[in-house]
Amino acid sequence: MQTKIVSKNFEIPQSHTMDVALKNGRYASLDRLFTNKPQEVIDVISKSGLRGKGGGGAGAAGKWQLASDHDGIKYVVVNADESEPGTFKDRQILAHDPHLLIEGIIAACYAIGSNTSYIYIRGEYEEFSDILQSAIDEAYEKNILGINAQYLVDITIHRGAGAYICGEKSALLESLEGNRGHPRLKPHTPQPEFYFGEPTLVTNVETIASVPFIIENGADAYRAYGTDLSPGTLLFALSGNITNPGVYEAEFGVSMLEYIETMGGGVKNGKKLKAVIPGGASTPILPASMLKDARLDYESLKSLGSALGTGGMIVLDEDVSMVKALKNLLRFYHHESCGQCTPCREGTSWVDKTLDKFIAKTATQEDLEILKSVSGTMNGKTICVFAPAVSGVINGFLKHFENEFLECIV
Amino acid sequence: MSFSFNNDNNRKIDLIRKRYPEKKALILPLLWLAQKQESYIREDAMQFISEFTEMPYMHVYSVATFYTMFRLKKPEKRVIEVCRTLSCALNGSEEIKQHLDSKYSDKFEIVEVECMGACSGAPMCTLDGKYIENLTPNMIDEVLNAN
Repeated sequence: MQTKIVSKNFEIPQSHTMDVALKNGRYASLDRLFTNKPQEVIDVISKSGLRGKGGGGAGAAGKWQLASDHDGIKYVVVNADESEPGTFKDRQILAHDPHLLIEGIIAACYAIGSNTSYIYIRGEYEEFSDILQSAIDEAYEKNILGINAQYLVDITIHRGAGAYICGEKSALLESLEGNRGHPRLKPHTPQPEFYFGEPTLVTNVETIASVPFIIENGADAYRAYGTDLSPGTLLFALSGNITNPGVYEAEFGVSMLEYIETMGGGVKNGKKLKAVIPGGASTPILPASMLKDARLDYESLKSLGSALGTGGMIVLDEDVSMVKALKNLLRFYHHESCGQCTPCREGTSWVDKTLDKFIAKTATQEDLEILKSVSGTMNGKTICVFAPAVSGVINGFLKHFENEFLECIV
Repeated sequence: MSFSFNNDNNRKIDLIRKRYPEKKALILPLLWLAQKQESYIREDAMQFISEFTEMPYMHVYSVATFYTMFRLKKPEKRVIEVCRTLSCALNGSEEIKQHLDSKYSDKFEIVEVECMGACSGAPMCTLDGKYIENLTPNMIDEVLNAN
């Protein structure tokens, strides 16, 4: 069930060092890359159907084209701010194959006409940031990066400092400019992102790490994996009540339950599966009863009323209290709201505190109404998708497990 | 004595300042260096960064207070951060926190934090910023007594 494209070298000892990376095919795509014109690179990414792997799942090539078409000094910014609870895939690339990431960055820079790239990495990932930095240093020594390289690319690591919201691309750019990480208003027409006013491509670590395979083997080779609409693979992950938590790359479209059984060894301690949060905490929870035909691709999970997100599944067993689980997540969102928009700043605080009453079993029917009403107020009325995601999380729990909340009402 | 960066950090700053189109972008990297150097961010360090980046002091202060990893007070003890988010909570992070509180709170500052991206190693904590995963109370005793 495992298909290794991005994770091919993860288990090779010392895979993060240049010598081992070169022996195992890293930087092999560069020859092919430079025989293409930049536009041809964007075209092959477009044909491959590669979708952004940071959670949104939008077509990757569209962003590349927008940044390419816009005049100005261009930047490629890699989003390594991985902070979505249940998600720990990008760190595997940073720790085990940083040269794959560098190789992909060179391709992205070449394709859109940029010479400067930043990797924005979450502050907590200091250890991985150090590994990545030594890989970058090695690439400079080998003239793969820098002024003496075939194509000039400079890569700078920029450390975040503990703000979940900086994983949102416009907040990330604000942070990279030296500001508080407040998301920006979105344009009404398709536009690239802008770093200090210049056109910028912001993209997730795993998306960029998928590029060398496509350059080297062509779009059809990538399309041979996955489904028509969700081509390729993803570093899916399992955590929570699971026997073998971890990151296991698989093709899009595999059965979720089969993945949980085969890769994860099933629910821990032989317990029954109660529910799965399919793609990071911000995707609506799905009860086990709905998972029979669930497939790990964007379309299947969307049709079930949730989303594939980052592919980081949190598995919940029969003993888990859904009231406590929701409280845990709402405390997270309350802590992480950036505070810019009132519905989010006040709403996350309100629902978090309301949940306390359910935990204490002192809630009233009105509290349940408040929860629903605040959830409605948070949806679609803010600058970024943080608050709508919280709303989706609450609605998911209430839709599938309302009886557990009703039991807490006096 | 008013704040200044040491030689080592000045060399680092020389390298990174060429990498950004505007000085303002140096605020986060400089805050990190200042915190590494002094174990926290002193007020005069923010003053220094404000002059260096030609940004108002209030701007630097507002940035420093936005990000939870920046410390504006000198830490009294070594810091242990315990993840409390869902995957860790499902694997007993509460028990870990209680164990730490009951045995180690006079020697260490024990704080709860949100997801650190180590969910496959739940429950987990950090000691001086380093990840320690798949914790059990016994393991905590071993690690902390060796440290």
